[in-house]
Amino acid sequence: MNGAFISIRRTPYQSFATFLILFLTLFLSVIIIFSLSFLYGLLGYVETRPQLTVYFKADTAENDIFQVRNELMSSGKVLSIKYISKPDAFNIYKDSNKDNPLLLEMVSSDILPPSLEIYSKKPTFMSEIAEFLKKSPGVDEVKFQKVIIDRLLTLTNIIRQTTLVFFASLMFTTIIVLIAITHFKVALKKDEIEILKLLGASNFYIKKPFVFEAMFMGIVAAISATVIFLGILFYFNPFIGSYIRGINSLNVSFFDSYQVTVWPLNPLFLGSLFGIISLFGIIISSIASLLATQKYIK
Amino acid sequence: MIQFQNVTKSYPLGNNALDDVSFEIEDNEFIFLVGPSGAGKTTILKMLARDIIPTSGTIFIDNEEISSAKFHKVERLRQKIGFVFQDFKILPDRNVFENIAISLEISGTPKNLIKEEVHKTLELVNLVSKARVFPVQLSAGELQRVAIARAVIGERDIILADEPTGNLDPKTTWEIMKIFKKLEDKKTIIIATHNTDIVNSLKKRVIAIKEGQLIADKRKGGYEL
Repeated sequence: MNGAFISIRRTPYQSFATFLILFLTLFLSVIIIFSLSFLYGLLGYVETRPQLTVYFKADTAENDIFQVRNELMSSGKVLSIKYISKPDAFNIYKDSNKDNPLLLEMVSSDILPPSLEIYSKKPTFMSEIAEFLKKSPGVDEVKFQKVIIDRLLTLTNIIRQTTLVFFASLMFTTIIVLIAITHFKVALKKDEIEILKLLGASNFYIKKPFVFEAMFMGIVAAISATVIFLGILFYFNPFIGSYIRGINSLNVSFFDSYQVTVWPLNPLFLGSLFGIISLFGIIISSIASLLATQKYIK
Repeated sequence: MIQFQNVTKSYPLGNNALDDVSFEIEDNEFIFLVGPSGAGKTTILKMLARDIIPTSGTIFIDNEEISSAKFHKVERLRQKIGFVFQDFKILPDRNVFENIAISLEISGTPKNLIKEEVHKTLELVNLVSKARVFPVQLSAGELQRVAIARAVIGERDIILADEPTGNLDPKTTWEIMKIFKKLEDKKTIIIATHNTDIVNSLKKRVIAIKEGQLIADKRKGGYEL
């Protein structure tokens, strides 16, 4: 590690250039990862809302409604169905308009329609379910959030694909720039490398200071990027909070088992973000330094 | 033991750096490799370090053929060899202690032994007081003593010196030769030189090379330009 510090001290401009390119890459990466996690959290939240609500005519018999419910349940496309009877609907209405006595006076439970809130197993089943419901007896109106979910899904996919391309370009540029800088450093030490080889030093022994320096720079850049990102995030925290008011939490699950809360900000998620960024910084800087030294140290 | 058997080194343009050279060097022998510039002395030293390999013929060190294309223990071989160059080749950003210690670090010597070994070697080359001094503050003679210390420390049993006194004044030259004399019978020492005074005064075995050919191999020999 001492060799790495000597190298930083002896070539400060090259070291600073290494830091800057790594910092920029990791800073953009942390923004991308956070934004995608947030967006997936939002998508997950929307998916947990009632996806489809079917309103029956006020005079529809409960048995007919239950018949529709049973047919839907047996289709295998539905996760759960909640029946909202006329009195239930009236209670909800009362709760929603408790501050407006005029509206409460005008409405009784008789005129409110009974409904079913349906959660499908997959968003893609919703169109089929809606078509089925429209043909069912007693159905007055079918409302579903397909449009919102579809837009969110499209947006998430576009962002994911765009960021993948952007990410790949960013990685490529970063690695090329790091290779160029490390090449320069290796060339400066050409004589030293020759002496070390004559003394019987292994390739790993010679490459070690370059790789350690790159890894050190990766960690420093990751810390700087995370600290600045957190500063910005905490500054905008109240604004984001007011924008998604009413949403208690946004969660993202990995591999269908490991779930992390993205919002409100929690130390586990932010810690994981820092861990990913650090690992990422170490990996790209190590790859670049190994590729750069490979040419001179065989 | 070092064995050169009918070693030839040819280059694509047809010139021979070495032509059918054969000799043997016993362990702990003191050898002068003499000859005019371009005779092939450095080629022999480079072959011993396996920096270059012969076009034909074989080279053995301790019964191991190092000239074979299949020989892959170059690092281990070089950890047995110490080099002393005319231009010293000292690492400018490390102090005297670190320049010598690097020789042991490379061969994997534990850190607690390195300090002790370096101190002993600094005593041998009379540089104990300059242990923490950087190369830029040293004279040419002192730099060469650092190079010798780096070459002889640890398990390096073969010392290859290529014109080690070429850049030094006569007084310093003899100081350096005194250090080599101290190592006599402890390490195999091969000194490539065309300094006739040294060769003729020390009366050691002399292998003479001219135009790539071995022209003389004499015990207690001398040398004339």
